[in-house]
Amino acid sequence: MRNWVFWAVLVAVGLVFVVVSRLTIANDYFYFAGYVVLEYVVLATAWNILGGYTGYTNFGTGAFFAAGAYSSVVLFKLPPLLLATFNWTIPAMPLPVMIAVGGVVSGLIGLGTGYLTLRLRGVFFAIATLALSIVLQTLIVNWAFVGGSRGVFVIRPALAPLGGGYIQYLFSLMTLLAVIAVGIARSIERSRLGLGFHAIRDDELAAEAAGVPTLRLKLISTTISGALMGMAGAPLPYFVTYLTPTASFDLAYAVNSVAMPVIGGMTSWIGPVIGAILLGTLQQLGTVGFFLDLKLDPTFNLLIVGLLLIGFVIIAPNGIVGLVQSWLRRGEA
Amino acid sequence: MPEETATPLLEVKGLGKRFGGFVALEGIELTIAKGERLGLIGPNGSGKSTLVNCLCGTLHNETGTVAFAGKSLNGLIAHERTRLGLARSFQLPKPFHSLNLIDNIRIPLLYTVNARHRQHHLSAAAIAERCEELLSHVNLADKARRRPRDLTQVEMRKLELARAVATQPTLLFADEAMAGLSHSEIEEILAVLMRLNDEGITIVLIEHIMSAVMSFSTRLVVLVAGHKIADGLPQEAIRNPEVEKAYLGE
Repeated sequence: MRNWVFWAVLVAVGLVFVVVSRLTIANDYFYFAGYVVLEYVVLATAWNILGGYTGYTNFGTGAFFAAGAYSSVVLFKLPPLLLATFNWTIPAMPLPVMIAVGGVVSGLIGLGTGYLTLRLRGVFFAIATLALSIVLQTLIVNWAFVGGSRGVFVIRPALAPLGGGYIQYLFSLMTLLAVIAVGIARSIERSRLGLGFHAIRDDELAAEAAGVPTLRLKLISTTISGALMGMAGAPLPYFVTYLTPTASFDLAYAVNSVAMPVIGGMTSWIGPVIGAILLGTLQQLGTVGFFLDLKLDPTFNLLIVGLLLIGFVIIAPNGIVGLVQSWLRRGEA
Repeated sequence: MPEETATPLLEVKGLGKRFGGFVALEGIELTIAKGERLGLIGPNGSGKSTLVNCLCGTLHNETGTVAFAGKSLNGLIAHERTRLGLARSFQLPKPFHSLNLIDNIRIPLLYTVNARHRQHHLSAAAIAERCEELLSHVNLADKARRRPRDLTQVEMRKLELARAVATQPTLLFADEAMAGLSHSEIEEILAVLMRLNDEGITIVLIEHIMSAVMSFSTRLVVLVAGHKIADGLPQEAIRNPEVEKAYLGE
């Protein structure tokens, strides 16, 4: 499928999804749960650009995600601060602007981290990204302006754009972000850039010898991946309305954004989407006690992810996409 | 043997490389003229691959200068040198194992040939055609859609060469392109290299298989323990007493 056709189909699917949901589903819980699943579609897709395509495992999803969330907090608190100190009046920032800013902030963090750590390979890079997460969390905890360790209240605007409640608005925005993330991932996959990423993943020395500027491409990869994670995090303060460092830097984000592409399949854009929808939905069902009959406590959520992850790594290292592909090939033979 | 032109294709002066306290290369002087077929030999650990790595930018030499077609290569990293026209194959083949053979060849075409000629890019169709052409030159056309894991040893070496040649080099380092191959397979690879040389590519052959080196090279350079001990016509170089000593003992 040509790239613009794919984008058109993707946008149409997103639009239909939002419109049909809004017309047929009144229950607010659907939008809460849907928001979280879509957020994971963005995070898993973003992770896969660096982890799946380029071959660098990032355990710092929480850092990029929270950086986006806290950049929104700063923008939220900026107008009252400016008014109090300099008597300047600036209008409250609309959420889409915050998302864009969150993307830029996390993209820059990605670029910086990339520059400092991309000389590290394999497990050492993974450890460095985990460390980044801890460093950033420590900074936020000690920064009183954004609430420090106590956390911060963010008040939603009284009126939500696009009609309906605020959660419906957040749901629509997250659908848009998912469309953007998946579109970008798929465009990269079919491009010269994507081929360069694959070359780096397979063998960096050979990639250099073939003329691939590996450092520049890795920086592009960390920047795009980080920016998308930041964009996914930017609406978080408005989703939870009370943001704390422990909630925003939650290890569950890192674990999930690794597990979802691994379980879905890392070679194609569809893998993280499948993984995110599957694991995200399972966890949402677990949270509301859907599995109580099976004597599964809601706190078993991450256990489901862990068990599935182990299972897939052992039995189907190429994920669901890999399973389907080999099944199709067997059908041909 | 082609005559030395005003500026040699490659000029190495006083090149030295250390790994901690170990001196891998010291005071290497080497001049390569355009169109030559140079054999680079030496016992294991004599620094042949280290020299290639320094010249191609995979490693950084601490001392000495390298000039390629009159342009200094100092400070240029590997992909920049590839784009200038310096290609290499690896001693242990390093194919892009998740990509099929066509994509393996497309990468140097996209990242080297197209990056070199920013004004007139190869179109997607031209690239596809070139991929097929390069693969058929090494008899891999029928496996174009396969992945490297489906290839035999000799085919892997051919892919390695095809990927290097795809960068349209003026100078090609073939690092042990024949190790572990059978006699007829060696002949096959030699024929490929000869044809490339006829097309105007200067070739440096790093090899242990003496019969192959002797029949291929127009000049021989011998490295022993990081020093160049001989440089000249192949028959004369191997009769050099120092070379005999290094290979056969005293």
